[in-house]
Amino acid sequence: MGYDPENPMKDRITDIGPPHYEQFFPAVVKKNYGKWLYHEIIRPGVLMHVSETGDKMYTIRVASARLISVEHIREICDIADKHCDGIVRFTTRNNIEFMVDAESKVQPLLDDLASRGNKFPVGGTGASVSNLVHTQGWIHCHTPATDASGVVKAVMDDLFEYFTSMSLPAKVKIALACCLNMCGAVHCSDIAILGVHRKPPMVDHDTITGVCELPLAISACPLGAVKPTKATNSKGEEIKSVKVNAERCMFCGNCYTMCPSMPLADPDGDGIAILVGGKVSNSKSAPKFSKLVIPFLPNTPPRWPETVEAIRNILEVYAKDARKFERVGEWAERIGWEKFFEKTGIPFTVKSIDDYRLAYDTWRTTTQFKFTSHIK
Amino acid sequence: MAVSKEELKKLILEKAINAPKPQLYVKDFYECDPDAKPREVKNAANELVKEGKMDFWSSGSTTMYAAKGRAKNEETR
Amino acid sequence: MAKHNTPMMDELEKGPWPSFVTDLKRQAEKSPQCWDILGQMELSFKDKITHWKHGGIVGVFGYGGGIVGRYSDVPAQFPGVAHFHTVRLNQPSSKFYNTTKLRQVCDLWEKYGSGMTNMHGSTGDLVLLGTRTEHLEPLFYDLTHDLNWDLGGSGSNLRTPSCCLGKARCEWACYDTQAACHGMTMHYQDEIHRPAFPYKFKFKFSGCPNDCVASIARSDLSVIGNWRDNIRIDQAAVKEYAAGNYVANGGAHGPKSTLDIQKDVIDLCPTGCMWLEGGELKIDNAECTRCMHCINMMPRALRPGVVQGATILCGAKAPILDGAQLATMIVPFIEMDPNNDFEQLVEFIESVWDWWMENGKNRERLGETMQRVGLPTFLKVINVDPIPQHVKEPRSNPYVFWAEEEVEGGFERDVKEFRARNAM
Repeated sequence: MGYDPENPMKDRITDIGPPHYEQFFPAVVKKNYGKWLYHEIIRPGVLMHVSETGDKMYTIRVASARLISVEHIREICDIADKHCDGIVRFTTRNNIEFMVDAESKVQPLLDDLASRGNKFPVGGTGASVSNLVHTQGWIHCHTPATDASGVVKAVMDDLFEYFTSMSLPAKVKIALACCLNMCGAVHCSDIAILGVHRKPPMVDHDTITGVCELPLAISACPLGAVKPTKATNSKGEEIKSVKVNAERCMFCGNCYTMCPSMPLADPDGDGIAILVGGKVSNSKSAPKFSKLVIPFLPNTPPRWPETVEAIRNILEVYAKDARKFERVGEWAERIGWEKFFEKTGIPFTVKSIDDYRLAYDTWRTTTQFKFTSHIK
Repeated sequence: MAVSKEELKKLILEKAINAPKPQLYVKDFYECDPDAKPREVKNAANELVKEGKMDFWSSGSTTMYAAKGRAKNEETR
Repeated sequence: MAKHNTPMMDELEKGPWPSFVTDLKRQAEKSPQCWDILGQMELSFKDKITHWKHGGIVGVFGYGGGIVGRYSDVPAQFPGVAHFHTVRLNQPSSKFYNTTKLRQVCDLWEKYGSGMTNMHGSTGDLVLLGTRTEHLEPLFYDLTHDLNWDLGGSGSNLRTPSCCLGKARCEWACYDTQAACHGMTMHYQDEIHRPAFPYKFKFKFSGCPNDCVASIARSDLSVIGNWRDNIRIDQAAVKEYAAGNYVANGGAHGPKSTLDIQKDVIDLCPTGCMWLEGGELKIDNAECTRCMHCINMMPRALRPGVVQGATILCGAKAPILDGAQLATMIVPFIEMDPNNDFEQLVEFIESVWDWWMENGKNRERLGETMQRVGLPTFLKVINVDPIPQHVKEPRSNPYVFWAEEEVEGGFERDVKEFRARNAM
């Protein structure tokens, strides 16, 4: 039995979808599905949910690196088998959640987790920095402008105290996308770490004929900066190729997505931009985008000190200055963005003024502003 | 009046084989039968893949179609 | 495969946050190709550039999604990762697992792949990271036969739908997000596995306006739980909050944090529709926009109403290419009934798809097509009546595209007749 390479279509099964979610519910969830009454975070990383039936469920939220091995998953399974009747779940923000049905089971689980070194830190609830949502970076992606796992590790090592406590004015969601494609929803994060390119694509005339559809590469450019041209390859043959008008290039990388012969990644050109003040929740204020406040920080592996420091600075100024329950974006809007730049000491540059499509919406059309140090 | 499904498949395959560019979007096949609904064209093209007459090609974010063997990929380069 | 010298990777074994490097080394004992992952990663850290390239492969026969092809550009140095394709497994709705199933996945992936995973990918899939082309078909066979499990989406397909945990553990879910997510996933298996559209299409299901899966920011079709009657109030619990006996904001600020109802709830209400009267909390529900703030602050006293359903929003996307878009509110309220297979939702989805498949340009997300044709046209083609809720404010520019039939006498006029009355 098993797969037969001689007869690959034999007994083929397709379109069966994922396993049904219900079979993975803990007994207390099955019994109380749709009957939950309220919840409380009883200590950082530990949630209690109370049902109409009087049942209680305790959830222990634990960080993970997202990039994890099957050996690590097996260890997660060992913990779930020992404490949670063999059930575990993962959150949208890459946390692991262990659930138990009695308060007496919480401490033994916490003790077990604590005994396993730095593998299972508990936290990420309430007014904390929750786990970073992030993309692949140099571990797997072909278009990144920065790494993901390494930057996340460096940032979270530094912000660890904010993951395990709940001392901030409100929750702070940080996310990283390793290029402007933004596989993660970083464009609506309290703090977004974004990989950016700054050099236009090169054109590899030796390979372009073999691997690229020229019309696709040309139409991939939103600014019409990629044009057809005749070129000579290194064998001296005249070929059909493309050229890039560098002045029009906004370094989005969309051409490279469609044509591998137009690489734009570069050790000096690539780095990180920081955007702040986004949110997705509809609570109090409407969902909003993150805004670009630092246009470029260099890629400095293995620990990206400039990025780590920039994020800690923003977080600490926010923690000190914002009102309780105010998200980063709500704080920045209340004090005004000019004050945000003044208080954080981040230099305001022309790069923070939008000059792409829909830009006018972000220009100030009122005499209402604050006199900050920016006005000489 | 839309053509029959088999006829539509024949037209799609002809286009995939003869088009100057090897990789085609599903929309490129709409013109094979302007009366057919986009969903019918998509289903016919996908059936040709199932029959081994066309291949999918993907950038990861976009999927395109190519007649068997015409797609450009790393291992056949 | 040999160990490589990886001083920069080793640096990331220090510190309190879980280390993916330590984890990779642990897996390398069983899956030696992990040494090459570490080696190539070290090279990227040194060169400050990726060493992966794309290859066009899409995966298992007959599927146009679920596998993303990847190759090393330094395969001679790191033969263990010469091919490094990703396999996306469609996660079970809201990501609960039992350990039996998870261990099966672990065994499968140790047999056919690198042993490294993402729990989970941004869209929601359980991502298996790194395998060779020749392993794809056997892996798919075992996955479907032994694990009774299928791949998720990629490319111009319906991407794997995802949802919040809804009624499984949350008191605020206004509809059964998991039933909806699983239901739509099963209903649209063909669209998930084979390309159907001008570009990717994403569904995400959140149970309430807190939107824990960020659907409003990143899904072409965002289904967010909502209610249309009165917020349920337990006045006895309000008094407990006022007396400082219940913790504020569900304990988000620590177990000792108490609530000043006037300052923390009423004064921060965006519509000003709440007040205290004789120790009771009053809400003018007709003025409420259901932002969730008061409910978030006082979960033991306030709950969403009982006439529950969902709001549908369309067209969110990341910045590529015209800039990021948040989803636009299209249908203020629909019933979400699992017993009729979410009939109203399915009808809406298909009306959008039928139009977008015809009119969307290649590599154009729904939100971009909506921008290009304009919201009035979009509403018209999907047969939704315009209402003030569709806009933040009415337009300020006066250039309305009047249609001929809307104007008395039509557009055809006789210029000679005009000149007879109005000389040059």
